[in-house]
Amino acid sequence: MASEAHAQPGPGHDHDAHGVASPGHDSHEHGHFGPEMWVIPERSELVSGVVQRQQEGSSLLRWVFIVGGILTILGIVGFVLKLVTVGFSDHNDWGFYVAAFAFVFTLSASAPLAACAFRFTKSHWRRPLTRIAEVFSVVSIVNILLFIPALIALPEIGVMTESGEEMVRRSIWFQELSNPSGWLMASMIGLVFCSLSILWLSAMPDMAQSRSMMTGFRASLYARLAGGWYGTKRQWQIQKGGLAILGGLYFMLVVFVQFLIVSDFAMAMIPGWKDSILPPFYTVISFQGGLAAILLTAYALRRWGGYREYMGQAPFWAASKVLLGLTLLHTYHLFAFFITYWYGRLEVEQAILNYLMFKSYIGIFWAQLFFTFFIPFPILVSNHARREGWGAPLAAVFILIGLMLFHIRIFAAAFAAAPADLHGLYYLPSDAFSFPALLLPPPGATFPDLWDIFMLLGGVGIVLFLLRVALMVLPPLCLWEMKEGSMYQRVDTLIRGRYLVLAKPE
Amino acid sequence: MAMQGIMGMLRNAMPAASAKHTVLGVFSDAESAATAGDELKSAGIPDTDYDFLTDSPYPEGSLGERDEPHRLYLYPFIGALLGLSSGIMITAMTQVAYPLVTGGKPVLSLPPMAIVCYEGTMLGAILFTVIGIVFESRLPKFDLGLYDNRITQGFLGLRVKAEPEQSREVVQIMNAAGAVDVKTDQ
Repeated sequence: MASEAHAQPGPGHDHDAHGVASPGHDSHEHGHFGPEMWVIPERSELVSGVVQRQQEGSSLLRWVFIVGGILTILGIVGFVLKLVTVGFSDHNDWGFYVAAFAFVFTLSASAPLAACAFRFTKSHWRRPLTRIAEVFSVVSIVNILLFIPALIALPEIGVMTESGEEMVRRSIWFQELSNPSGWLMASMIGLVFCSLSILWLSAMPDMAQSRSMMTGFRASLYARLAGGWYGTKRQWQIQKGGLAILGGLYFMLVVFVQFLIVSDFAMAMIPGWKDSILPPFYTVISFQGGLAAILLTAYALRRWGGYREYMGQAPFWAASKVLLGLTLLHTYHLFAFFITYWYGRLEVEQAILNYLMFKSYIGIFWAQLFFTFFIPFPILVSNHARREGWGAPLAAVFILIGLMLFHIRIFAAAFAAAPADLHGLYYLPSDAFSFPALLLPPPGATFPDLWDIFMLLGGVGIVLFLLRVALMVLPPLCLWEMKEGSMYQRVDTLIRGRYLVLAKPE
Repeated sequence: MAMQGIMGMLRNAMPAASAKHTVLGVFSDAESAATAGDELKSAGIPDTDYDFLTDSPYPEGSLGERDEPHRLYLYPFIGALLGLSSGIMITAMTQVAYPLVTGGKPVLSLPPMAIVCYEGTMLGAILFTVIGIVFESRLPKFDLGLYDNRITQGFLGLRVKAEPEQSREVVQIMNAAGAVDVKTDQ
């Protein structure tokens, strides 16, 4: 256990503390913990070391670039051929595309939140993870592009029959709006703008500090984006305040956009599916997936990317407990979703349970449950796996597979459930209180065609590709936060063991 | 009149700003930099005339620096109010312009308006916060002024704007406090 001292690191303290060698570099007794548990990089060499590694790259990042690029091209090919072969006339054909979009959205929108949330808690172990979390903001830019076809595929809220009567479908929007695309797109653009603002604000000091060491495109970009930052107290205060305010607003907006996405693209597509648990369930699974993506990326960078001497095992050890909590919360919400409908026993509720869980999509449902709970849970419960650092990333692999299956089960299934006719999605306002019997008997599961598979792979590929591009431009470590951490942390002796001593000035 | 007043203020401010010399002391440790700050204060240089430049945020007051009041927290509230007002206007005017009774609910129903209003509030707050950050940080600054790259390696900078007759004394104070280097813009 880390010993915690509420010390005031006043003047004179800092440079002694900066010089504390990484536990990975000394040969002292480490007590209960291995030498790689806490790594506190040397402050004076941090910028030059990270910049050098960033410019050198690694074989891992090259492979991520190649594989991500190939999968992205496959996705584009799949999308174009799907568009050419079926067009946008029937929403039933676009369920897998929406699943792929929602998967990318889930990861890229939730991951930056981890940086804000862990910063709020003022935990020290977060420091090597925050920039990786923020870099997912770059991936989120593609959400705006991917959202456009999804909005086009979304059926109109109101349609006119040949007899001139207006038919409507249930949604969270005004029924007089023909399509809520404007508001949906505005929310998505706002979310991307907010996450990019957080990234810019956080990366500004790092870009200012490393601009003199960069060449070519990066030097020019850093000079422009750093905007004359030189680290006065006022600038640090505004940065700290800005990150806190934007982090809070981002949390409020991301939950809202997740609510819109899951309501409009899943719940509203199955008439009669009225579920207050699904939006928070979707939020929890998004947070779980976002954290899993961060831990997997951080582990890959540490293990194969050349950043071992900047990242210890402690971030994985601590974050794995958060991941365990989210995994349990996910399962709790899944059970709450099930038990409410199972106990309610309305015809439509039983039909939805049979469709999404126990008949049509039973295979994907159980596979998802295994990948998001039954496999990661024992890994994350194991103290050994958590402490060694590999437990959380291993669990993250399974969680991400489960996340993709979840999106297929919820979004692709929802888009395939109801035909766009009077007895499907739409009803006359005069029939508002008499639902047509839907999903009785539940239709079979819809399987992806080749183009759908390409698009699903493209969803994975675009995340990898843009993540690599972002890491090409920005350092994967938040340099100023790492330096701040080195001021407040040191590994010291307590009785016969070596432990981490922390200063908490606030 | 207002424009003349602003121009007058600028005319008054410009010569004063340009008349001052800038001195940058580079320190290898925080203790020396803080000592130099204390000595500058003792020498009668106002604390608004010097700034510590650091590569990471230091704890509040650890260098003996002045408080820096700001109004960043006001920006999100202003943005949120504007966004909320826009959301209420758009939704209310739409419903009044195209009245459609749905499910027996009143034409002006708050629950469906809440979604658009919430979105407007959030977007307004975010936009104004970013504007506030740029404005309150005094960014962008295209002329970096005196700087030393060693600050990025953990050294601390102490940048002083001093009257010409004081600049020699400032250099002496910095050297006495243990500066590893002192630069001036002269």
